[in-house]
Amino acid sequence: MRDKSIFTPWISLAPALTVILVMLGASLFYAIAESLGFISVIGQGDISFSAYRATLAADSEFWVSLGFSLWISITSTFISSVIALALAVWLSSRNKESDTLALNWNLAFPHLVFAIALLLFLSQSGLFARWAASLGLIAAPDQFPILVRDRFGIGIILSYIGKEVPFLTLILLSVLRSQSIRYDVVAENLGASHWQRLRYVTIPQVLPALLAGDLLVFGFIFSSYEVPALLGVGYPRALPVLALRFFLDPDLRARSEGMVISLIITLIVILVAVISLRIGERQE
Amino acid sequence: MTTVNINSLNKTYPNQPAPVLKDFSLSINDGEMVALLGPSGMGKSTLLKLITGIERPDSGDIQFDGSSILNVDPNKRGAVLMFQKSYLFPFLTVEDNIGFGLKVQRASPETIRGEVKRMLDLIGLPGIEKRKVGQLSGGEGQRVALARALVTNPKLLLLDEPLSSLDTEVRMNLQEAIRVIQRELGVTTTFVTHDLGEAMAMSDRMALLLNGEIVALDKPETLFHRPRSMAAAKFMGVSTFLNGDQLPVKCEARSLSQKLFAIRPEHIRVQKDGCEQSVQGVVSDCVFRGEYVEYQVAVDGTTVRARMPMPASMFPHGEQVYVKFPREHLFEVQN
Amino acid sequence: MKRIASYALRMILYFILVAPLLLFIAYAFSTRWFFPQPFPIEWTLTTFQRAIDDSRTLSSMAQGIWIAVLVSLLSLILALPTARVLGLRKFRGRQLAWLLLFLPTVIPPLAIGMGLNILFLRIGLAGTIAGVVLAHIIPTLPYTIFTLSSAYARFDENYEFQALALGASPWNIFFKVTLRMLAPSLVVATLFAFLISWSQYLLTLLIGGGQVITLPILLFSAASGGNPATIANLSLLFIAPPILVIAATARQLNQHGNEIREQY
Repeated sequence: MRDKSIFTPWISLAPALTVILVMLGASLFYAIAESLGFISVIGQGDISFSAYRATLAADSEFWVSLGFSLWISITSTFISSVIALALAVWLSSRNKESDTLALNWNLAFPHLVFAIALLLFLSQSGLFARWAASLGLIAAPDQFPILVRDRFGIGIILSYIGKEVPFLTLILLSVLRSQSIRYDVVAENLGASHWQRLRYVTIPQVLPALLAGDLLVFGFIFSSYEVPALLGVGYPRALPVLALRFFLDPDLRARSEGMVISLIITLIVILVAVISLRIGERQE
Repeated sequence: MTTVNINSLNKTYPNQPAPVLKDFSLSINDGEMVALLGPSGMGKSTLLKLITGIERPDSGDIQFDGSSILNVDPNKRGAVLMFQKSYLFPFLTVEDNIGFGLKVQRASPETIRGEVKRMLDLIGLPGIEKRKVGQLSGGEGQRVALARALVTNPKLLLLDEPLSSLDTEVRMNLQEAIRVIQRELGVTTTFVTHDLGEAMAMSDRMALLLNGEIVALDKPETLFHRPRSMAAAKFMGVSTFLNGDQLPVKCEARSLSQKLFAIRPEHIRVQKDGCEQSVQGVVSDCVFRGEYVEYQVAVDGTTVRARMPMPASMFPHGEQVYVKFPREHLFEVQN
Repeated sequence: MKRIASYALRMILYFILVAPLLLFIAYAFSTRWFFPQPFPIEWTLTTFQRAIDDSRTLSSMAQGIWIAVLVSLLSLILALPTARVLGLRKFRGRQLAWLLLFLPTVIPPLAIGMGLNILFLRIGLAGTIAGVVLAHIIPTLPYTIFTLSSAYARFDENYEFQALALGASPWNIFFKVTLRMLAPSLVVATLFAFLISWSQYLLTLLIGGGQVITLPILLFSAASGGNPATIANLSLLFIAPPILVIAATARQLNQHGNEIREQY
């Protein structure tokens, strides 16, 4: 087509950009405003940092939830990474389409559904409990260990692991399979044993992608609501769950606090994203 | 410092009817450089894979210094491969790449550093230890790959068309470099190529591969001037074969007519006047190639291809000429 | 020996991946399966039928589908010109544009939802389908744009020139040439937008405010309640579209990378 001036691309970008920026911008504006007590549903208030002070107070439940959320996120991400690495290395030796299909299949399940399945598997009257009972290991449901809706977030962590392992594995597999000859073959030829190949070649190869994937996963888990809401207990609550509970509270002060927590979550996730970008840039 | 004996290797791939290697045997002497020449897909790369252990032969044996290596783990065989692409580890520096083979042998860092420096001097690239792989040119990358292969003192060095992706001039330089280094270190080497000139320039002996079998094995000069079979001759660029009957000479014995003779294109003369050893023909093509003129002359129902060194007359298409086959350059070949 | 172990491990892996579906089927199509029976004994279709016939289930499914369809269409319309420019043109500020358009993937839906909740309440969109549709566009748009821009990047504009030279009008060129050549990616992008909207829970909850009820919302409250059969039935209904979509586009997904699916 004819040469167009530099302004024209932005015209094509305008619709999508406008929608996104307007909604995000407005949403952010109101979020901050609410957190400052400035605008609430019934009318204007005064700017005040009381919600911030209340949230960040030493005895606030915020800190407990922050710790809990960090615990879930870090543990899930770490365990998922280890399993995904092992899985990717194992699966990369044979280039089977059925593997990728199986992993993709798992991705078809929304997080919510996977959490529900876990509930049905691991609850005290769930499938595993029934198997245990029929094997004579336990006599009544309450003898089965509490694995979901527990204080340590075991169910939550398991649920995230179940969904993130296939995701990370696929990322790693795509790195390992993208080379026309695998560097570990070269390394073997130069004398490296199995473990040496893993340590000196395979892991350095996938490390950048793994790191990026991990940060993505961490940010996602940290800010996600559905799974901890479904599989968590009343105390300790994950940070997003806390935020929403406060936000839906009729008490206006609680609503502001909920907004504060939500903004803090957002800040942390953005921070993680920026770190990820920086690392990615340094790779180049 | 190794003698290599390959005995009767056979390999067929499941999805191909014909065997890729058929009763393949080859001996490489200590410190020798043998070229494997042949068109693509003729089993050369398969052979290298069998030697390094990436694949197993259906039958046959491979021996280093008299003992079989077929049951030795691929990473312990000491047969190091260099590919067409350098495959330098992109996440390691030049010195970490070169030192890799020593690192996996748990050599000390000082040893590694010393050896890397020695190697870099040897390949003519001193001082680039800390460079990243991405900063190297094609030729430099292959030199580093060579250093990486040699630093472990391999028993056998295998080169799989290592120069095919390089520019001509870089390629020539590297041919010479590899030759010099190989001689200096005395590393038994075999390399695969489909380039005749390269094979002749770099090898002590050449093996011509066709359909998974060795068709000829000899010194380059011998194969060039006196290939013994028609197949080998064709490999070496000979395209003119004459029955005894077709020879424009007085037949000394009847048996001559049963034999097949060949002559190199550079020795065939195309001239305006006839003489004792010439036959008549019509020029069908005449191409100027700088250092020589290439002729195609229709003689007796066949086409003779000749190369006349410059300065040479250029006869146009359709011209009547005489083609001379000097007796001293005719040699006998088996069919 | 190694091969048997490898095969067995692979089978175990596949089984783990399929297990949730099997469990749902077991619970949904059985009856009177109580603790401590290890496997269902009686199979029946009645629970499933009842679940389907339930008016709340049906209406929530219908709303979910309707919303998802609208979201996909709107996403496409907004994404096409955007993707074209991003895929085909180099211009100053391209990086910035990408960054801005992909902001929704970085900002948690929680924060977005809360802020929009207040905004929509003020402008009267809260609790409406229109509001929910608008809200759903935010997470879907980046992925639609991403998919389509990859397609455009591989697109050769010369085909359009050809059509022009042959006398076609701009509309004709767009519909008969461009869209047809982009068709596979269009399908993938649309299906993805559909799925993302279909599976939204938090945004629908926050914007719909209890008046717009989609299947995930129903499912969530059922899961908090505890009747496994109901839960299983609703789950099956919920994952049916995603499974169909993934099955249909499996091969193309491998090329498009994994970033797309994270939001899921």
